[in-house]
Amino acid sequence: MENYECIDLQNVERVSVVKFKDNRVMDPARIEKLGQELMALVDDVDNDNLLINFENVKFFSSAAINKLIVLEKRVRANGGKIRLSNLRPEVRDLFSYTHLDSIFKIDEAQAESLKSFASDR
Amino acid sequence: MAFPSDDKKPMINGQKNTQQELWRFDKRIDSEPDNCAKIIETLLVQLESFGWSNRDSFGIHMAMEEAILNAIRHGNQCDPEKQVHVKIEICHERFYSQVTDQGAGFRLCDVPDPTLEENLDNTCGRGVMLIKNFVDQVQYNEAGNSVELVKTRSK
Repeated sequence: MENYECIDLQNVERVSVVKFKDNRVMDPARIEKLGQELMALVDDVDNDNLLINFENVKFFSSAAINKLIVLEKRVRANGGKIRLSNLRPEVRDLFSYTHLDSIFKIDEAQAESLKSFASDR
Repeated sequence: MAFPSDDKKPMINGQKNTQQELWRFDKRIDSEPDNCAKIIETLLVQLESFGWSNRDSFGIHMAMEEAILNAIRHGNQCDPEKQVHVKIEICHERFYSQVTDQGAGFRLCDVPDPTLEENLDNTCGRGVMLIKNFVDQVQYNEAGNSVELVKTRSK
């Protein structure tokens, strides 16, 4: 398994749980790196279900969202699923204003996401 | 780009800003995306010193980042000969900004609707839409190279 600079990865109940190391995901160079790591991660992990836990995230720029969209396509192409959890209200607003909550399933808390993954199996 | 030192330390020792009634910023920046981050940093410090909530600051941050980056990238096409003029006024109750580039301008109706299903993964137009949603008032000039943003502090 690779060492990631921008993300923490944990395997919980056969789901790959990703957390961002940066509170404010906004620096263009870091966002590029994040995008590369998210793509590498899909090849690295041996399960197709990915949960992105936003608990650390205070700001998430539009460029970072683009990386998530690319990731979602890749995961879906592999037959996997993505869920997002623990979004602050303002970060949640970002997904609803952009209608991206129709692409990403968003849960209040990580436990709910894990439950949904389990019941889909 | 170098900001004069009085712009860099606007806060009074990190305390809530009770003495200053209005903070003004008026600078022309080169069309380099990194310059946006410097302004945002200064802006966030000011919003905090005026006691703005995280949620309001988030919205202003989002709208300003998109407005300045749009001006640099789409307006000025990152042309090093062109500048972006950023004016900001912050007080306890109201945020105002005007961002003007030296580009040809655009028309809102030419921007694709990023919320349509076929455009969801297309980054084009999302910035304009985020600006509209995260502040209270958005006004473009007729030429389409200048935008004014207003946000009133949430109760």
